Amino acid sequence: MTGVPLAWYLGLSGGLFALGLLGVMIRRNPLLLLLAIELMLNAANVALIGFSRYWNITDGHVFALVVMVVAASEVVVGLGLVVAVFRARLALDVDQMSSLKG
Amino acid sequence: MGERIAFAVAGLAALGSGGLVITLRSPFQAAVALIVSLFSVAVLFLLMAAPFVAAIQVIVYAGAIVVLFLFVIAYLGDRGVMGAPDRLARYRGLAVLGVLALVAQGGLLLATIDLPGFADDPRPTDDIGSPEAVGRSFIDHYIVPFEATSLLLLVAAVGAVLLAKKAVQAEGGR
Repeated sequence: MTGVPLAWYLGLSGGLFALGLLGVMIRRNPLLLLLAIELMLNAANVALIGFSRYWNITDGHVFALVVMVVAASEVVVGLGLVVAVFRARLALDVDQMSSLKG
Repeated sequence: MGERIAFAVAGLAALGSGGLVITLRSPFQAAVALIVSLFSVAVLFLLMAAPFVAAIQVIVYAGAIVVLFLFVIAYLGDRGVMGAPDRLARYRGLAVLGVLALVAQGGLLLATIDLPGFADDPRPTDDIGSPEAVGRSFIDHYIVPFEATSLLLLVAAVGAVLLAKKAVQAEGGR
């Protein structure tokens, strides 16, 4: 009764991922979509670190750090797109951004 | 016992602020809620013997990425949330249903999974989360992914510059 079992961490990770997925599906603002994607990436990191703890190896930490790099790149490009759409005087709505070109 | 209490507090904070991230109308408030969620997850990383990843989580995620978000939100101003009619609003119930189905499947998987010690107290760990251990793992086993991340960051930076340039040109600037 001292430590936290792996199952709890996986349950929490699944809950966070479900929240992020729901956010991506019900929100239309691209900024909020990116925030929800961050939530999902974090849920994956919790699972990775949890398994790392379970197997007593460092590999999960390495994967989590790589996931963070991917998240940073994704935010840079995503926010660049959002700003480009904003400066082109278009509405910030992913439904109306469905035919981006050039 | 203390570890479990810390897990409960941080986990509930992460889930609660995660719910706020996807329900709050204003992107600014949602970003602040995301900071709370990221800090709670950092606490969980500390509980999982991953102090280095927890530090990176706070410095890079909450410190850099979300601040970038806040800058862009401040730049876009209130126009960021335009009240365009949501053409897919009637499918929202289906989205909730789909996510609930996924959660049910995950719960079933957790209930039936067959790993030794899966729901028991974890075994004590060696030194797996210190900067030294993570650095050794990177250099000894994962040197190629490590170099690949630098390429990824370069491509992302170039892409962002190109996007910004195009946006400026579209406005008649250089």
